[in-house]
Amino acid sequence: MAARKLIAALGACALLATGCGGSAPVGAGGAAAGRDEGPVKIGALHPVSGSNAVDGQQMRRGAQMAVDAINAAGGIKSLGGRKVELITGDTQGKADIGQSEAQRLISTGAVGLVGTYQSAVSTNVAVVAERNRVPFVADVTATDAVYANGYRYAFRIQPGSAVIATAAAQYLQQVSQQAGKPVRKVAFLHEQSDFGSGAADAFTEAARGLGIEVGPDISYDATTVSDLTAQVTQVKASGADVLAVAGYYRDSLLAAKAIASVKPDLNAVWGVSNGAYDQPKFVADAGDLGALYFSTNYHYDANNPQTTALREQYQRTYGDPMRTGAVLSYDAVQVIAQAVEKAASTDPQQVRDAIAAAQVAPLTVGNGPIQFADNGDNRNALAVLMQIQDGQVKQVYPPEKAESRPEYQVTWRP
Amino acid sequence: MTNTTHGAPLAPEVSPPQTKTKAGGGFLGRAGIVGGVLVIAIVIALLRSGSGLVVWQSVVTGILTGGLYGLIAMGLTLIFGVLDIVNFAHGALLAVAMFISFGMVSATGMHPYLTLVIAIPALFLIGAAVHRGLLSGSGGKSLENQLLITLGLSLLLENGLLMFFGAEPKAIALPGDFQFPLLGAVVAGSRLYAFLGAIALGALLYWLLRRTRLGTAIRAVAANGPGAELVGINVRRIHTLTFAIGTACAGAAAALAGPLVTVTPTLGEQFNITAFVVVVLGGMGNVVGALVGGLLIGLVEQLTTIYLGGQSSLLGVFVVFILVLFLRPQGLFGRKTA
Repeated sequence: MAARKLIAALGACALLATGCGGSAPVGAGGAAAGRDEGPVKIGALHPVSGSNAVDGQQMRRGAQMAVDAINAAGGIKSLGGRKVELITGDTQGKADIGQSEAQRLISTGAVGLVGTYQSAVSTNVAVVAERNRVPFVADVTATDAVYANGYRYAFRIQPGSAVIATAAAQYLQQVSQQAGKPVRKVAFLHEQSDFGSGAADAFTEAARGLGIEVGPDISYDATTVSDLTAQVTQVKASGADVLAVAGYYRDSLLAAKAIASVKPDLNAVWGVSNGAYDQPKFVADAGDLGALYFSTNYHYDANNPQTTALREQYQRTYGDPMRTGAVLSYDAVQVIAQAVEKAASTDPQQVRDAIAAAQVAPLTVGNGPIQFADNGDNRNALAVLMQIQDGQVKQVYPPEKAESRPEYQVTWRP
Repeated sequence: MTNTTHGAPLAPEVSPPQTKTKAGGGFLGRAGIVGGVLVIAIVIALLRSGSGLVVWQSVVTGILTGGLYGLIAMGLTLIFGVLDIVNFAHGALLAVAMFISFGMVSATGMHPYLTLVIAIPALFLIGAAVHRGLLSGSGGKSLENQLLITLGLSLLLENGLLMFFGAEPKAIALPGDFQFPLLGAVVAGSRLYAFLGAIALGALLYWLLRRTRLGTAIRAVAANGPGAELVGINVRRIHTLTFAIGTACAGAAAALAGPLVTVTPTLGEQFNITAFVVVVLGGMGNVVGALVGGLLIGLVEQLTTIYLGGQSSLLGVFVVFILVLFLRPQGLFGRKTA
């Protein structure tokens, strides 16, 4: 009786957690509503509640700062100085809610959307945008799958998962050779969903191409894991000299604790698209544990004075350091606004064409202006190598983007 | 007031002790079988991984993590066994207690384990208020209502925490944390303390239920509500007290486990499912069973990681869960309801 009750309850819980998703409105009925008068509306979709709320709020503020900057500079000049307005939606980190919120923002008259921080949500939002013929400029979205579908309305600012992982493998080889300790064997520890596994697969392929052995490949469930000591012991037993980690914040912190207690014979800990190892928050939480950790990821351009000014303004206004995600949102809003300016129109299809031809100077690290390839990816997106040095996250590689030199070693070994 | 129609399951702690000798024999037999299966599983893991150190570390980690699971599941199983309430808010209450602990540590700089003296009474009061206010009335009678109330409460608590503390993950540092090698495996001091705390809490609850008047009353209410009422036990008060003790266990678990986890408003989700599995595995309402079930689940998780090369450790947990439901639906250490 009691067991049956528990099963029924668990079942109901699962239904509540996953169900209730079928109510997203369909079709392009309200797509043209209210674009011709009033401010030019740009939609921002981020998870401002739920477990990723910190990043979601950061990114919404970043987008709002871009809008404020545009308005302060006189609005959209080609439209007679029309102001820009940010209309926002909360995805709650859920794909189905992101989908219905995207539909709502489009119906409200958004000329373009930015978002969404999570790959699964972006996948659904991209479909809605494509169906309604409204451009969607992703700020943070790691998965490459969205950009392999031949969508015309999906764009992306950040370097994709494969670009980051490939760069991570190349940087690893170059940095380790320069340090005189060429990498032999990389153990890869990653969370098991699309994000971590995708990073691991892309890294493995790139590393093998460079003649680096990768193994063992160890995955874990990021939502439930509470200790990674056994996994790191496995790394120690394998004799790998570098440990690559692709995970979210909480699990990457657990990995750092496990590494500190097991002390495997490594030359470097190498974050790949890692959600923790380039965050000031991680430096504060992990303290000495995280010293000298590397991380290859997208990053705000620490050498760009405009970026520095923007981050200072954010710090003054909100009292927190501005994260890279928020700078990417800033860039994404700029891309849409400049496209509206160039198209001199609020017709989403003309805006889309202007975005496809755009050249926008980014505040994040890149090889040049934001320019989109045919699949919607930012052609000049660049991943940068960072390292935690003296309690700060510093850009260390490639040399033209570096603030400091890489120190290829770990704290617990000479 | 009386909860007879949902007759609670009778687990060893909360059932009359007259058949103890017979049950004792069965218990030893079952424990032997479980132990034997475990040894075989470890040997297979050894063959599979080829590294004794990895398997040994997995076993040590599994036992320590299992203590943590047992710690969290104990309060849940008490509430479930006596009140027959599936408390989905347990994880959220755990999160509330973690934030109390975190708040005390960051405000006063006190030792994380000292926050026990605040977290336990605070959660006791919250639990009593929740039971009196939300669950003990007629609204909390049916299964669906209990489910919606506790689930709704968990959403309310999580989002309340999100509003007050923000979603920024927080860490509770344990001053003087250390680790030591145990035959090659590393053991973190904080995990060992949590493990020992789980055993101490289990022993305390066992003593409470077995050796005190309150415990006798709780067992009487669990066994037969109207009967208990006839001999003068205030059933409603016992229900509230039991619920409050159950949530106070979450308070104890939070203070002990705080240094091990990243404190976020949604951290309860991480443990909720595992805790329910542990409750069923150990026998519903059986506090010691929850501790043993926690250890088993901890080991199963770690061994699954070795078997499947790191794929979802929950897979192994649910295979074991389903096997137990098939073979012994009352749980490994539970007893059939008559």
